[in-house]
Amino acid sequence: MGCNQLEICGKIIEMKKLRYTPIGIAIAEFKVSHISQQLEAEVLRQVECEISAVALAQIAKSMTDMKIGTVLKLIGFLARRSRINLQLVLHVNSMHPI
Amino acid sequence: MHIIRVALDIPIDTLFDYLLPGASTQIIGTRVQVPFGKKLVVGVVIEIAANSSVPLSKLKAATHVFSDIPPLSIASLDLLRFCSNYYHRPLGEVVMSIFPSRLRNVKPFIQKPNTISWFRLTNAGRIANTSPAAIRGIIRCRLLTLLNKSDVIKDSEVKKLGLNAFKILEEFITLGWVEKIPNILISPVTISLEPTLTLEQELVFNTVSAEINRFNTWLLHGITGSGKTEIYLRLISLQLLQGKQTLVLIPEISLTPQLEGIFRKRFPTSILINLHSRLNASERTNGWLQAQEGKAEIILGTRLAVFTPLPKLGLIIVDEEQDSSFKQQDGLCYSARDMAIFRAKYTNVPIILGSATPSLESYYNAINGRYRMLRLSSRAVTNAALPTVRCIDIRTIKVKEGLSETLITSLEKCLSLKQQSLVFINRRGYAPVLMCKSCAWMATCQRCTSRLVVHLREKKLRCHYCGHEELIGHACPKCGDQDIAPFGYGTQRVETALTEFFPNARILRIDHDSTRKKNIWGGMLKDIQEQRVDILVGTQILAKGHDFPNLALVGILNSDASLYSTSFRAAEHLFAQLIQVAGRAGRSDIAGEVLIQTRFPDHPLYCALHQNNYDSLTKILLSEREMACFPPFTYQALLRAEATQISTALDFLKNAAATAIPFKYVEIFDPVPAQMTRFKGMERAHLLTQSTSRKKLQEFLALWYKKIQMLPARNVRWLIDVDPLEF
Repeated sequence: MGCNQLEICGKIIEMKKLRYTPIGIAIAEFKVSHISQQLEAEVLRQVECEISAVALAQIAKSMTDMKIGTVLKLIGFLARRSRINLQLVLHVNSMHPI
Repeated sequence: MHIIRVALDIPIDTLFDYLLPGASTQIIGTRVQVPFGKKLVVGVVIEIAANSSVPLSKLKAATHVFSDIPPLSIASLDLLRFCSNYYHRPLGEVVMSIFPSRLRNVKPFIQKPNTISWFRLTNAGRIANTSPAAIRGIIRCRLLTLLNKSDVIKDSEVKKLGLNAFKILEEFITLGWVEKIPNILISPVTISLEPTLTLEQELVFNTVSAEINRFNTWLLHGITGSGKTEIYLRLISLQLLQGKQTLVLIPEISLTPQLEGIFRKRFPTSILINLHSRLNASERTNGWLQAQEGKAEIILGTRLAVFTPLPKLGLIIVDEEQDSSFKQQDGLCYSARDMAIFRAKYTNVPIILGSATPSLESYYNAINGRYRMLRLSSRAVTNAALPTVRCIDIRTIKVKEGLSETLITSLEKCLSLKQQSLVFINRRGYAPVLMCKSCAWMATCQRCTSRLVVHLREKKLRCHYCGHEELIGHACPKCGDQDIAPFGYGTQRVETALTEFFPNARILRIDHDSTRKKNIWGGMLKDIQEQRVDILVGTQILAKGHDFPNLALVGILNSDASLYSTSFRAAEHLFAQLIQVAGRAGRSDIAGEVLIQTRFPDHPLYCALHQNNYDSLTKILLSEREMACFPPFTYQALLRAEATQISTALDFLKNAAATAIPFKYVEIFDPVPAQMTRFKGMERAHLLTQSTSRKKLQEFLALWYKKIQMLPARNVRWLIDVDPLEF
């Protein structure tokens, strides 16, 4: 049950203003749009999706340099947005512009 | 007779017998030092007895009789005895609680000579050559100017002029220019600045002054800004002329600087003392003694001041009589307002209960003719009208950081007109809750059934009940999510938001935290009055009594919270509070406006507020109370118990209920955990008894109290709270 890792590339399409927790940890919330071709049951197909992502601390701060449209590779885990909102959010642990 | 019966501050309801050869009734009311166990303690002689139930050989002797201050008068002792009987607390505890801490000490009190001296210019001084050429030195000049300007000056005023001002003053005295005058010669001079009374005020004043020398409970129901204080001042001035003392009780320490200022300006030469808990021990002792010796003419104080011995008492004023801080919530649960009424009746002097929103109890007494109602229904300042009250329905519109667009626009308008505004939110701190949205964890107090409040600037979480404090953690302790966030609004958060909306406005936050330091409050008030503040953000500290002439707008946030309360008094208290806050606006010729952000714009409470109709809502509330058999239609008493385990407290209450003798007209309910079950690490429960007859309830309680005292009460603290306000 320990597995929870997602690697995905995408373009930043939305970026919220950087906010901080009460003790001052930076939090960046953003959205990426992903477009690619993937194999499915040996057939190549078109894939499009949008993913909400959140980054904390150092990564969050480096996100402020990113402009809308920047393409990133993100690695992280998935968690639901909150106890009442079941939407999945990618919690980014590693981020590289490509 | 050589046995004295002494009241000691020991939680056992009895007097203690000691030997004192040659004791006479003269000694009653005197403080004595006696051995108790291995210690020496201070007590007060209550009775002289010929014999004791304790064998003579076992009686100890009193070790010292204090002659440092006059004994308590019979009147004082009667008041305390009544208090002890009515609230069912040991007499010793009641008697000793009235002394300032210095007088409870086993060491005798050495009274410093009355330090205030008065000086005035003699005729020789007046005609002497005081031209700058003849008088050298800045301080010399200043001192002469001061003396020339005022009739009399105080030594403290001299001190302010400079280090060697006293030396110069002495020089003037030897020259015969200045004379020292004894205190007594300073007669009450009423100063010129008396505003003319409105017709209504005049009627009220004449009605009371016609019966100024006998007991009456007057309920002065005057809308905010109707000039109740002016009535107080006129009545005090009447009593000053008769050489009598006036006791003025006010609910909050925060009100003292303003009221004291008004009193001192009107009666500059009268001796006014202040009695409240923020004074240091010697200030308090000195004030108390001046009152007891009959020297202090006006005694201004919070609830404890009601017990101050006043030999020449002529009038009692209880301002904001509905305020719950007149009721002590712990130990001796007395109501200073009710004690004041007893005292006025005993002394046969009038008592004025003043309020814009009388408590339902007092209002009910007034419409039934037990109290006499006096009304002031228009504002005293010409052209000043009550503010218009409007609700902003926040169910349908978006709020930004708790503030609606309408409110922000109105604040902006005030700013541009250079008028002051007030944003009222009755919650201090940044946010009332710190929550983890992933797992719904909330920061709670380990010792109380309460949530910890976020104080963002200090990065701390605080319990507003027990004072517990901790640093805000890194992450949620339950699930580890670091994204924990404050929820809801407090004064600090509103202040922060306003600073962002209005970067150029001068914003001042006034709550318990920002006014904690001694003397800071006076400066803040001055800043407001002299218009160095544009927007005020504050809690109920700001709601009562203050007069800010330039305040045009009041915004009320989060008042709905009280509508969810389980207390049957919540609606009454909310209504009173909102009327008070709303009343801060439009007190001079600037029209006032009040905006209330609510989810229930049609609630009868807000409707009554909108129409400014105290009587209509009060009638609704009274009929609800009557249906539910709540006060003022019944009289209640709570037996409170606390222990480390809730079961211990509940078991004790069950046993107590079992010992109660069934009484006709007295209902006894089942023991239940208190609303706030855990408090300061103790689990609390209570048992309610009520009756339609106060007399019957008292008879029942007196018998029951004796029985409960005999119960084994290991690990349980208990007390009887008569006329409880909180459950």
